[in-house]
Amino acid sequence: MKVAVVGKGGSGKTTTSAVLARTFARSGLATLALDCDTNPNLGLSLGYGEEATEKLVGVRQALDTGEEGHAGSMIELIDRFGVDGPDGVRLAIVSAIENPEPGCPCCGVSPERLLADMDSVEGVVVADFEAGLGTIIRMGDDPVDVVVIVAEPTAKSLEVARRAADLVKERGLGRVIVAANRVRDADDLARVRSVLPDLEVSSIPDEPAITRAERNGVAPLDSAPDAAGVRALVELGERVLSSPISA
Amino acid sequence: MRVAFVGKGGAGKSSIAGTFARLLARRGERVLAIDSDPMPGLAFSLGVDRSDAGIPDVAIEECVIDGRNTFRLRSGLSAEEAVLRYADVGPDGVLLLQLGKARGVRGENAGSHQAFQHVVEGVPDHGWSIVGDLPAGTRQPFFGWGRFARTVVVVVEPTPASLLSGRRLARLAGMPSAPRLVAVASKTRGLGDAELVRDGTGLPVIGTVPFDTSVSDGDREGAALLDQTPKAPAVAAIDELVSTLINEEEQP
Repeated sequence: MKVAVVGKGGSGKTTTSAVLARTFARSGLATLALDCDTNPNLGLSLGYGEEATEKLVGVRQALDTGEEGHAGSMIELIDRFGVDGPDGVRLAIVSAIENPEPGCPCCGVSPERLLADMDSVEGVVVADFEAGLGTIIRMGDDPVDVVVIVAEPTAKSLEVARRAADLVKERGLGRVIVAANRVRDADDLARVRSVLPDLEVSSIPDEPAITRAERNGVAPLDSAPDAAGVRALVELGERVLSSPISA
Repeated sequence: MRVAFVGKGGAGKSSIAGTFARLLARRGERVLAIDSDPMPGLAFSLGVDRSDAGIPDVAIEECVIDGRNTFRLRSGLSAEEAVLRYADVGPDGVLLLQLGKARGVRGENAGSHQAFQHVVEGVPDHGWSIVGDLPAGTRQPFFGWGRFARTVVVVVEPTPASLLSGRRLARLAGMPSAPRLVAVASKTRGLGDAELVRDGTGLPVIGTVPFDTSVSDGDREGAALLDQTPKAPAVAAIDELVSTLINEEEQP
């Protein structure tokens, strides 16, 4: 099962991805967390810690620097470069930009190619996409099972969410669940619903404990597992799992 | 002045860039604000009506440069003319040029993107200030998109993820021909936060924009900070940043 997490920068994609991944792993599924951001921070939210997160190497960079041969399947690469973390989630970074002249683009290590090649993967892949719509646009018509669109009740965030939802629908890229994030009141939720009508919406309350976890660089699931915002994200994970897995 | 704002998603780039552009214009500068993110964000922060207007296909022609097929502005059309013709006019007279809507699987709008770069680089230095809002993360700032900037401001929150993004950008900026890189501490809540940003990124911190609920309230309405809450502490801090950068650019 493949789950893509998309949205505007800063909307909460990475925090959401991390809680989803660990929720899936806790339910007994083999879980791969795929950090598709070229500025990868998913390790922090998963609970790997600052130092370990900064040291993680992107699959793409390992290939470019010649540390690894250009052979092997995508899945083999992930196996080789993935790092195990809390709850047994395996984390892999697709590509971290560390040089203003990135190496050969024909290597083919890109989030959209990796995802498309992962049909034989068992368990769940949670792909934390880069901010904006670039990766969705480049996915072409290769679907995933679920697209979680993380949207804050702000005009900018909803604008990105609306465009993401249109693209996913137009191309049939998967079942959409909107994570309405940092919801303060009924007005906030109504704002999200009015821009994204007819979509499944999970409401995630504005949660000071998540803000604190971000300030401290720790996983919200470790620092505040019982906070309402964290619980809502866990429930979102259960909702994602309840979707039919496409054949 | 030629300044670009970069940083992690959600750090406050657009809010700061939009307010900065208008405050600079109020001091009598002719300001071109550019949004090179295919997702419109700066328009909201400037208070410009939502539009996807980029540089239209009629203004672009194919050409061959160094043996490669590429695009440029139609011959006879200068960068300055293109700005005057295709930029939206916003509050305080700020002109807004956007990259244009993302469309197609691959490269279908490569033409307008390349033309956008030509325009930004071709706007004459004399008589124009440019304030750029670059997309989140490390993908764009140093790959041609930030070339117009003399100063690149990394907007950094005092959180480990934002600091890590700042460090990565600082490393990229260590490369030859990179512009001057400085940091602004964003959404600060205490006195130690600016030091946290300085120590965490290794960059000089030239300004501090405090955490201010009027920013998130305005974001909910899609209203520009300057229109919604002109007396907000964040506005005063950004105005101070304008002074700082004007002074710095005047130094030889």
